[in-house]
Amino acid sequence: MCATIAAQFADGDEVCNGMASFIPVAAIMLARQTHAPGLVWLAGAAGVDPRPSRVPASTLEAPLWRDSVMYLEQYGDFWNYALSGRHLGTFCVGAAQLDMYGNANNSVIGDDYHRPKVRLPGTAGLGDMGSIGKRLIYWNPNHSPRSLVEKVDFVSCAGYLGGGDERERLGLTGGPEIVVTNLAVLDFHPESKRMRLCSVHPGTTVAEVQEATGFELLLPDGDVAETAPPTGEQVRLLRDVIDPDGMCKREAGVTR
Amino acid sequence: MSKVASLAEAAALVHDGDVVALQNMATQAAPMALVRELIRQERRNLGLVCLVGGIPVDWLAAAGVIDRLIGAAVSMEQFGLCQQYRKAVESGRVRVEELSETALNARLGAGARNLPFLPTRGLIGTDLIEINENLKLFQDPFGGETLVACRALVPDVALVHAHRADEHGNVQYEPTILWPDLGIMPKAAKRVIVTAEEIVDTEVLRRHPDRTVLPGFAVDAVVEVPYGAHPTSFYPLYGYDAQLHVEWAKVARDDEQAQEFLRRYVLEPATQADYLDAVGGAARLMEVSRI
Repeated sequence: MCATIAAQFADGDEVCNGMASFIPVAAIMLARQTHAPGLVWLAGAAGVDPRPSRVPASTLEAPLWRDSVMYLEQYGDFWNYALSGRHLGTFCVGAAQLDMYGNANNSVIGDDYHRPKVRLPGTAGLGDMGSIGKRLIYWNPNHSPRSLVEKVDFVSCAGYLGGGDERERLGLTGGPEIVVTNLAVLDFHPESKRMRLCSVHPGTTVAEVQEATGFELLLPDGDVAETAPPTGEQVRLLRDVIDPDGMCKREAGVTR
Repeated sequence: MSKVASLAEAAALVHDGDVVALQNMATQAAPMALVRELIRQERRNLGLVCLVGGIPVDWLAAAGVIDRLIGAAVSMEQFGLCQQYRKAVESGRVRVEELSETALNARLGAGARNLPFLPTRGLIGTDLIEINENLKLFQDPFGGETLVACRALVPDVALVHAHRADEHGNVQYEPTILWPDLGIMPKAAKRVIVTAEEIVDTEVLRRHPDRTVLPGFAVDAVVEVPYGAHPTSFYPLYGYDAQLHVEWAKVARDDEQAQEFLRRYVLEPATQADYLDAVGGAARLMEVSRI
């Protein structure tokens, strides 16, 4: 997952990370140490261009922003740049539920917003990032019918809404581009905006991915590709240098 | 006139029913000594405003102090969801007004500048607008684009923790990651209460005026509370107390155990020194200071 997400970042991209985002942080660090040394990282949306020695226990606390070149005032200044339209074009989204049109929910499970079955953490920055023209990369280390659902219980991050051109008609640009899970890589059909299988990870079948998804996935024309596995060097960097404490593996157990 | 107060005097400036803006960011920088004092004084029906609330929100919910929350998220990050808060919301005891980060910033910004609202372009397309009477879509009078008007929010009181202050209420921070809500919450609120790691002579502040972040004329009370943000982090002085967070996360699913935790760490310790002893004393403080 880390290597697949890292491949989404180009040299010179500006990327921030939020709370409990171990996999995106590892992907950012991997990209910076391989193909994208000029990737600008805003750690915890506050520490500019930091050099932490490894993925720490928190992605919103020191020592994540060690050796930063600048501390950006997160609440005011970070959003001045994020909202400008000129900076921070890519955002990684993790949420409890994601639906077939790329809408995400981190607010409530259940029908009654004020008496929910489960109160989730809340929209935080997602509610903004979905509506301000960002390219959204979803990550989900627990691909299951509970997290990939036909329709989210509540839209706390705008994807393609009801599909088709609905997002465009509201005047929104950008939007969900890719979904990286522990089983597969998915994208969105250019017209219908429905989620579509791109590739399955080595050792996983298309049937297994469909079984683990709460709606019918679109399939690409022709055969479903196999996700390119990480190179030996990427694996070495991730295991020995970037995440020796295995925070990414533990992420599956952490609720955002 | 000196603005130096005791914790009890400062907490008495918070009244039942008040809307209270609380500095906090998951495991960071909350004025925890004041939070504990509000619980000890059995304050009721408070509305809490926070950007990302962590353990203080959970303790206040467990103690029945709050009945509403205006904020962007509540989570202890690596220590999991706030279970007592979650239960209070699911049972209807606490009502949530959930805002994106820019919408909360806009509501507070309008409050600070005495405007009826400020706009954001966040949230468009989400379900968060329709359920919230403080958010309304409107057309930009210049270009016609649809934006979200975020109604002004003026909290009754803002609670802040800082590195140092003087008796006049001038407040300084050490150079570090700037606490996310300091830039706006104290400026929007009617009253501002600050706890500080130390109260110093004004001459000390004059050495680094660039580090003064709140002027005394805008602060109502200052309280000296060493380790006043514990168990949240307060860099560069100390990190978050992982052990106490883990201990709380373990008991927070069970009401009885949660109340026992509050009795032991919040209700019984009469002073900050008693509290610090209860959570592990010098050994624990040395540990959280090793950062």
